[in-house]
Amino acid sequence: MTPILEIRGLAKSFGGLRVIQSLDVTVGAGEIVSVIGPNGAGKTTLFNMISGIYQPDVGEILLDGASIVGASPEQIANLGIARTFQTLRIFLNMTVRENVMAATYGATKTRLWQSVLRTPAARREEQAIRRLAEEKLGFFGDRLVGYRWDQPAYSLSYANRRRLEIARAMASEPRLLMLDEPAAGMNPAETREVTELIGRLREEAGYSILVIEHDMHVVEGISDRVVALDHGVKIAEGSFEEVAEDPGVIEAYLGHGAAKTR
Amino acid sequence: MENFLQQTVNGLTLGSVYALLALGYSMVYGVLKFLNFAHGEVYMFGAFAGYGVLTVLGGPSALMVPVWAAVALMFVASMAVASGIGLALERFAYRPLRNASRLAPLISAIGASFFLQAAALLLFSANSRSYEAPELIPIDTAMTVGPIDVWAVRILVIVTAVVLMILLTWWVQRSRVGKAVRAVSFDSEAAAMMGIDVDRVIVVTFLIGSALAGVGGVMVGLVFGRIFHLMGFVAGLKAFTAAVVGGIGSIPGAMLGGLLIGFAEAYTTAYISSTFQNLIVFALLITFLLIRPSGFLGRPELAKV
Amino acid sequence: MSDIGVDRWVEESGDRHEQYSGWTAPARRLFDSIRPGWRLGGFVFLLALFPILAPQGTVRVGITALLLVMLALGLNVVVGWAGLLDLGYVAFYGFGAYFYAIVASDQLPAHWPSWIAIPVIVVATALLGALLSLPSRRLVGDYLAIMTLFFAQVFVELVRNFQRLPGISPDFDLTGGPNGITGVTPWSLFGFEFNTFNRNFYLLLALLVLLVVGLHNIDNSRTGRAWRALREDTLAAEHMTTPVNRLKMLAFAVGAAIAGLTGTIFASVQVGVFPNNFLLVFLITIYAALILGGIGSIPGAVVGAIVVAFAPELLRNPGTGSWLFYIGLVAILVGTLKKWSLVAGIVAGVAAFGFLVRQTALTIWDDSILGVANDTFVARIVDGWLLILGQHQDVVANYAFVLTVVGGLGVTVTKGWWRAVVAIPTIYLAILVWENKLALQPAVTRQLLFGGVLMVMMAVRPQGILGTRRVEIT
Repeated sequence: MTPILEIRGLAKSFGGLRVIQSLDVTVGAGEIVSVIGPNGAGKTTLFNMISGIYQPDVGEILLDGASIVGASPEQIANLGIARTFQTLRIFLNMTVRENVMAATYGATKTRLWQSVLRTPAARREEQAIRRLAEEKLGFFGDRLVGYRWDQPAYSLSYANRRRLEIARAMASEPRLLMLDEPAAGMNPAETREVTELIGRLREEAGYSILVIEHDMHVVEGISDRVVALDHGVKIAEGSFEEVAEDPGVIEAYLGHGAAKTR
Repeated sequence: MENFLQQTVNGLTLGSVYALLALGYSMVYGVLKFLNFAHGEVYMFGAFAGYGVLTVLGGPSALMVPVWAAVALMFVASMAVASGIGLALERFAYRPLRNASRLAPLISAIGASFFLQAAALLLFSANSRSYEAPELIPIDTAMTVGPIDVWAVRILVIVTAVVLMILLTWWVQRSRVGKAVRAVSFDSEAAAMMGIDVDRVIVVTFLIGSALAGVGGVMVGLVFGRIFHLMGFVAGLKAFTAAVVGGIGSIPGAMLGGLLIGFAEAYTTAYISSTFQNLIVFALLITFLLIRPSGFLGRPELAKV
Repeated sequence: MSDIGVDRWVEESGDRHEQYSGWTAPARRLFDSIRPGWRLGGFVFLLALFPILAPQGTVRVGITALLLVMLALGLNVVVGWAGLLDLGYVAFYGFGAYFYAIVASDQLPAHWPSWIAIPVIVVATALLGALLSLPSRRLVGDYLAIMTLFFAQVFVELVRNFQRLPGISPDFDLTGGPNGITGVTPWSLFGFEFNTFNRNFYLLLALLVLLVVGLHNIDNSRTGRAWRALREDTLAAEHMTTPVNRLKMLAFAVGAAIAGLTGTIFASVQVGVFPNNFLLVFLITIYAALILGGIGSIPGAVVGAIVVAFAPELLRNPGTGSWLFYIGLVAILVGTLKKWSLVAGIVAGVAAFGFLVRQTALTIWDDSILGVANDTFVARIVDGWLLILGQHQDVVANYAFVLTVVGGLGVTVTKGWWRAVVAIPTIYLAILVWENKLALQPAVTRQLLFGGVLMVMMAVRPQGILGTRRVEIT
């Protein structure tokens, strides 16, 4: 079976700085793969290349076997990759529901004149995406439902904002979901919830998921496979246990010579 | 050939003024990443301040002090008034909006420009004033450079501008505050973390930029005679073009851009038609924005996602 | 173990509503309680009464106001919704107006009937807007603003100097040069000529209703959401399937189309077009209208435009102008001080200060410095108290003006008692400047007001009167 995402020989430099060198990563259908590594290892750059913000200098990125290199972020989103951002980029001044509805643009086809006249077809489609948005928001229990739908997104707590961002990503009905540090800034209870959530995203919604994460509890709880990067190079790959024991990984996180003390 | 040389001198003169104005735009953009639309009005008030001093000193025909003293005082007064207005703008119109949307400071600057133009109209009425420069510094006081005669006034303008620009460059390269300005231009957050008082740097930038604009205003009065409340608008647009063409945020860029626009205007007026001088300058700007927004000497922006 | 996915607060809160606060709260609650359809209907009804009830000659102002409303609504699409800084919007207006003037007058041999001209012009302006949107793919923020600003300058220069462009024969007078085009035939549809002010007023009103309803529908559709997402965070929007470039183009095109349509009506009403109709000054007026009313809000654009259009008219008449000034002064005091006792205190202080100044001045210089007060109701009241000067009116007023500005700035930086100490002379000086100078020069006062409003609004209430407070990512 073709993997959902296949990256081969990827490399990227900014000026003289080589951010990613000769990287191979695969995500199989229905798999959850975590990417870990110290800051500056190139993880977000990897995401940015997959989602189309940067073009790789060399290498291939294949979505379901088809190359997406050179495509714009909008095209890639339409092809089935959705992501969240490390810095959290929701539409603060739009309501919660509108945030999620906004992601359905590529799947809808109401023309401007139909919107102006509010034709029956336009109204039907509007109702449909409204229901879709509410359904996706319902994935998070009661947290983002009811009166919250009409609240501006800036009124949400930090954890709820992260959930909103995931709901928004889900609304574009992707095949591959990329989560950039979904548990960043969360307390232990919220972190546990995120771990469960990611599992449910795969079980109930069937997404293949690529995750960047620093919190090892989350990584341990969710990953089928873990890929460890350092300075743009893959230094280990395997199950969580294998990667956690890998001396190169320990050194990358804890410094030279730390591996010996393990 | 003679005409060409004459036009070159015109270009240098105009270019000097535009360079001084463009420096203000560039420096402020460098530290704040913000375009001070009201900069042209600062220049205009500088010109009027110079005129005021000239009148107080008895006017061009009945000066109470030697000519060089009068001109020096005019420069000083214009710098003072222009800086005052510039600093007031920074403190009251722009500083409160540092963390607002990118639209807010722009709108505020446009409002400030509008307000200042109206204030000038109120204070000075719509009548233009004249420095009557030929009486002040007679036309026949000229230097002969090659086949042409260069009026003393133009030499004064060019030399003053060059001296100021040299001083500025030295100051930015060597002095502590100058280096701080460069640091803040580069990365204001990092500069703050290194202990640089970013607010003070911004104030100094506005001070210097506005003072230079004030000097430019007096120069225009000396060379062209007529000053009026709307002079800041078109000059501002052209100086702004100069800043962009040279590379906004870059001090040498502003100087280069100023010269280029000065030459463009001089040659267009002479060889094509004065009607089109504005059009050509505007077209230049649009072209640059489309092809190379960072101008000749500017740095292309790299944003981290 | 906490319940995963259950938000107790949401459960308990049930059906909570956002509470309005501040002094606009009762008005806003009332506003909300009326259903949108009725709101629009009621408003339109009131406007429709205007030509009937208003004094002679003011219908013209009403038309100017409605034209400004349409332009503010159009600009709102580009700047308020899509977040694209368009400082060249007035050029679309001019393009539509000139195009109509050219084809509906004797400027060229062609003379198109309205029912052909109008749709063609609207589409053509939309295309021009789409063209101008192309730079927005690469330029953002300030750069786009500058580029569009210069485009507007280029437009005016072209229209002024068309015949002298290289390659154009001097006999081909397309735009009438600096003298513009006159003798424009008004709109004429189905034999009905829109050649009176009343007819044009109701035409604009009808178009306004259609525009408001249409825009409201767009705002609640995928396009409206996509525009707002584009404004919020272009990169994130693009990642969420929004075709940003196409939408930027659409925003520009729609905004331009509205401006173009409005331009044709303008040309029709003024029966002519001139280059000076489309200067930066007017663009700033449109922006002032939108910002005052509330950027991003349809009712805001309407209200803001009406206020901005009528204010200069009110200022023109010294009587109403003075009322406006003094009421405005009191409103500012009440708005910032909130307690009537404080307001009374300040007013008393100003009165005392005024007497002091007058007595001192008269003692030093005797009666000869006094001049004649302008003939307004309020001026007659203050005549015995305020120093209305004769000979040196201009010079003193100038100094007073500068001091007022400085004092005003000083008030913002002082606190407590010091603030009152600075405020009282400042207010007195403001009144002095008003009665001695500003009341007599409405055009300059209007410009001062607009500029000041823009600056103050951005610092104090960037969302305008009817807009909602935005949260920006720093």
